[in-house]
Amino acid sequence: MVCDDVKRIVYFYLDGQVGEQKKGAITSHLKGCRNCDDRVEISRRLRQFIAKRLGPHSAPARLRTRIQEGFASLRGSSARP
Amino acid sequence: MKSAEAFEQEQAWDFEKAAMPYVDSLYNTAYRMTRNSEDAEDLVQETYLKAYKYYDKFEEGTNFKAWLFKIMKNTFINNYRKKKLTPHKIDFSEIEESYERVIQKNAPDLIKDPESEIFQDMMDEDVKRALDSLPHDYKMVVLLADIEGFSYKEIAEILDCPVGTVMSRLYRGRKMLERTLLEYAKKYGYIRSGEPVKMRSRKDEAKPRKKSAAGTEETDIVEPADEEVELFAAETEEFDFELEDEEPEEEFQLE
Repeated sequence: MVCDDVKRIVYFYLDGQVGEQKKGAITSHLKGCRNCDDRVEISRRLRQFIAKRLGPHSAPARLRTRIQEGFASLRGSSARP
Repeated sequence: MKSAEAFEQEQAWDFEKAAMPYVDSLYNTAYRMTRNSEDAEDLVQETYLKAYKYYDKFEEGTNFKAWLFKIMKNTFINNYRKKKLTPHKIDFSEIEESYERVIQKNAPDLIKDPESEIFQDMMDEDVKRALDSLPHDYKMVVLLADIEGFSYKEIAEILDCPVGTVMSRLYRGRKMLERTLLEYAKKYGYIRSGEPVKMRSRKDEAKPRKKSAAGTEETDIVEPADEEVELFAAETEEFDFELEDEEPEEEFQLE
């Protein structure tokens, strides 16, 4: 495991998608490589940041009403197969 | 025996009970896709009505939320993206280079305070702008994976593409988004110490922007792109990330 390998799979490592052996190799590389360890930590924290800042945004109440009204009108018509 | 009407009523009620909890998720993603609340509401409304009509096509045991997202994606393509857009050239190696420059220069400053949010002073508007700077296909995978928490396999199903393509887009989309956030952070002073990194300017892509309050130098921040992506030279949509241990036959570990 070299630094370039870590660069390439850092996101998939964070997703928990790398095999056990590879995961072990990354973990031991990170212990000895400050640069890579920082890189993984930055990506991990950026991901939290992105999820928090771009995450829900509740739908307006009027949208729920509109959807329910839409269902009602579909029920009322013969539009359903 | 139930009447057909009673059966239909019951099915409708089942549908509403199953589907309505996803309205916030669908709306958030729709809002990020269309970039405005009116279009997002219309898109979600249409998605629900289609899903309601075709509920009998939903396969029991598969992911219902993913099914709704797939309908929304198709509706979006039909309504908003009929025109074939000019491919937008992305020099991904340039993105990786500029990412590396920031990481190498500023890594310790970026994570020196483990307790606080990484860029806690960054305005939501800038985070939104960074997301909007991604080509649509990349934005979609980032939203589906990192906001909605879908698996690679579910995303592949929603977007009708191979898992390898999802991974490739995720790699590039996340890298581009991180790169842009790091650039903003540097530009607007959220990375507090360390010397500012002098950026090479690329005249062909640099667009005029208002000067920031701090009066910092212009950098080649990518503006919102709505074009489809055409990757440079030999870059293909799929490449092998070698995530697996040395076990043949299995491409990726998905479960």
